[in-house]
Parts: sequence; structure tokens; C-alpha cells
Amino acid sequence: MAKILYIEDIKDNITLVQKIVTSRGHEFMSAENAETGLEMAFNLHPDLILLDLGLPDADGQTLSVWMRNDPVLEAVPIIVLTAWPEEVVRHTVEAYNLDGYLCKPFTLAELVQTIDKALSKRPS
Amino acid sequence: MTIELIPAEQFTLQELTDLYNQTRVDYLVPMPMNASRLGEYVHDFDIDLSQSCVARVADGQMLGLCMLGVRPKHAWITRLGVLPATRRSGVGSALMDCMMENAGKLGAKATQLEVIKNNLPAYNLFSCKDFIETAEYLVMRRAPHPSSEPPRGNVHWLDSDRALEAIQSYPNHLTWINAPDSMRNARDVEGLHITLQDGSSGWLAYRNTKFTLRSTLSHLIIHTEQGNPAQVGKQLLLNLHTHYAHHDTYAENIHKDDPHLPAFYAMGYFENFSRIEMICAK
Repeated sequence: MAKILYIEDIKDNITLVQKIVTSRGHEFMSAENAETGLEMAFNLHPDLILLDLGLPDADGQTLSVWMRNDPVLEAVPIIVLTAWPEEVVRHTVEAYNLDGYLCKPFTLAELVQTIDKALSKRPS
Repeated sequence: MTIELIPAEQFTLQELTDLYNQTRVDYLVPMPMNASRLGEYVHDFDIDLSQSCVARVADGQMLGLCMLGVRPKHAWITRLGVLPATRRSGVGSALMDCMMENAGKLGAKATQLEVIKNNLPAYNLFSCKDFIETAEYLVMRRAPHPSSEPPRGNVHWLDSDRALEAIQSYPNHLTWINAPDSMRNARDVEGLHITLQDGSSGWLAYRNTKFTLRSTLSHLIIHTEQGNPAQVGKQLLLNLHTHYAHHDTYAENIHKDDPHLPAFYAMGYFENFSRIEMICAK
């Protein structure tokens, strides 16, 4: 079982991902803005962060920089979930040293596969 | 459907924020806000909420909104959004007509706006309202990463006053969000001036925005006074990013033909999307 933090401002998306994550036996946490997400990441030490790029206070790219700059969070895998065009997302993930992405709309199977893949890279 | 247009000042910032976010939920680039950020937006960009509008139907259900930035002889239409379920029913057109009427009453000689490139429904609406495309701008990002070479040049860091003086002297057109009035309102402007060994010189102004826990760089304006813009620009950016080695950077509205673009690309910037500026002169 892993702790998964989803940082996303749209409640319907949170509900959908929560169902999938908990059905796989993982612990699920969510934050609706960047500041809360950062605070939760600091305090709760998730094993994986799912990150939306469009957040109401600071956007996902900026938040990822804050997390990557912190020794506690720099190694936590971050997967981007976004509706942005794939080419921009791919470039963003590379530039910001993130661990992967899923472009919305995605299937449940794609999300499960992406989460499993990211978690499999955790040090045992 | 009868559409009522209500001055936005009759709503709280939270109500406006909630409505705005709902109108953008399916956008390619949603850019949601919170009430605090909308408050800053209103302040920094001279949004007049008494001249901005919320559209609703008689039973009070809100349909969309639009905001008007107001400066002497100029107006700026922004944050136009219509709830997905009520699009294609004349709400956007009614909001635009209201903004144009208000801009005219305030004495605006020209009204400008920006639309994300390839947002054809919005582009077509603005074209129908006599807006003409004037320029294309890039919105670029740069993630912090170590520079591959040490910066060069004789650098003088500019405080807010000096940076604003430089912006005031900028010889080319600036979009509303980077215009001197916007940068002055923002209160977080800094800059640097550089002179290179061969006598080339230039300056860079930017916003260093503080969040609760961190800060980020944005709204870059870059100008070469003398010399090759690609070279001067590269050293300006190299000095900036060496000084602020851990800052994320968001460069909005860099003209697509800006001669400093090679410097941006050399420093690791990449394009997120483009905006089209449109102007209606009446």
C-alpha cells in the first residue's frame, strides 16, 4: 500500500481518482491548491504525487519546482494529470524533471498502469 | 432566454472567482484563480468592476462574466467566460457589447484584448465585434536548472524605481499585462542592466512575486540598447537565472518576432502556448 497525494482543484476529478486509488488499496489524500498541496506533501510524506497543472494559486509547474527544491520531497515521484496538449506536457515533464504524465481524458486502466509503474520504482 | 447584465461590483471576489473558474473548466489552458489572485489581478491590471459585467437570467442563475481594464483612452477586455452549458446562446456577445459600450462611455479610443491562439469560437466572436488581429505573443516557461556557463558582463541590479524607469523607456508596444501601469501597480518589479565587454548593453525587468512560502519570476521585459539582442539577451538571462537559481520563470507575451527569442531558447525556455492580441479602434 502506498500514500498517494492528488493536487487538483476540480472536485469531480478528485472523486474519480480517489475511487481508483482506494480500490487498489492505496491511501488517498487530496489538496485543491498549491500551497495546501505543498504543506500536505511536507507533513504527510506521500509515496507518489499526482499533479494537475492548472491550480488556483500557483500552477503545477511552479509547485513542482518548490517540491523539487526541497530535500524531503525532491525524490518523490510526480505524475502530471492534465488536459494540456501532449507535446507541451511532454516538454514540461522533461524540463521540470517530473516522472510522467497522463493527458485527460484518460482511461481507468491507463491511470492504474501509470500509478503502478511510478510506485514500482520506489526503493524497496 | 433573457440575459441580464449586472455590474460585477455587486458580487464578491469569491463569487466572481467561482463563476470564472466554472466558465474555464473545459478550456485548453484553464488558468483557474482563487479570490486572492483575482483581487491582485483587479488591482494590478486596473480592472474596473463597476464597468465589468456578470450575465445571468431572471431567476438569478449566473451564465458568464467579462471584465474591463480601464486606463486613459484605453480599455482592455479580459476574463471573458461563459458556462459550458450556456454557450452559443448569445451570452458572450451580450457581454462583449456591454464591455464595448462601457469602454466607449469612458472615452476609450481603443479597446484591446488577447485570445489564446486556436480558440476559434472566441476569435470569431471578437472578429465579429470589429476586433482586428495586431500581433502574436508567446507564453514561455523555464524550469530552474544549473547554467552551463558562468555569466558575463558588468551587471547593475535595478530596484523597483529604476526598473520602472527602464520599462517606461521601452520603445516597442507592450501588452496590457506588461505595460508600465501594470508593472507599477504590481509593486514587485526588479531588473538588471548589463554592459558587455564589447560595449553592448541592455536591460531586463521582471516581477519577483512572493507567494506564502516561495517566489517566482514572471512578466519579463527585455531590451537591447546596443549590440546583438541574442547575445545581450543571453547574458541578461544568464545573470538572472544564476542569481535566482531555484526560481521557476513564466515569461508572458514575448512577441513572436522578438529578436531576443534565441536567447530565451538558449537559456532553456520553451513555449507553452500563444496569444493573439486584437484591437478595436473606435
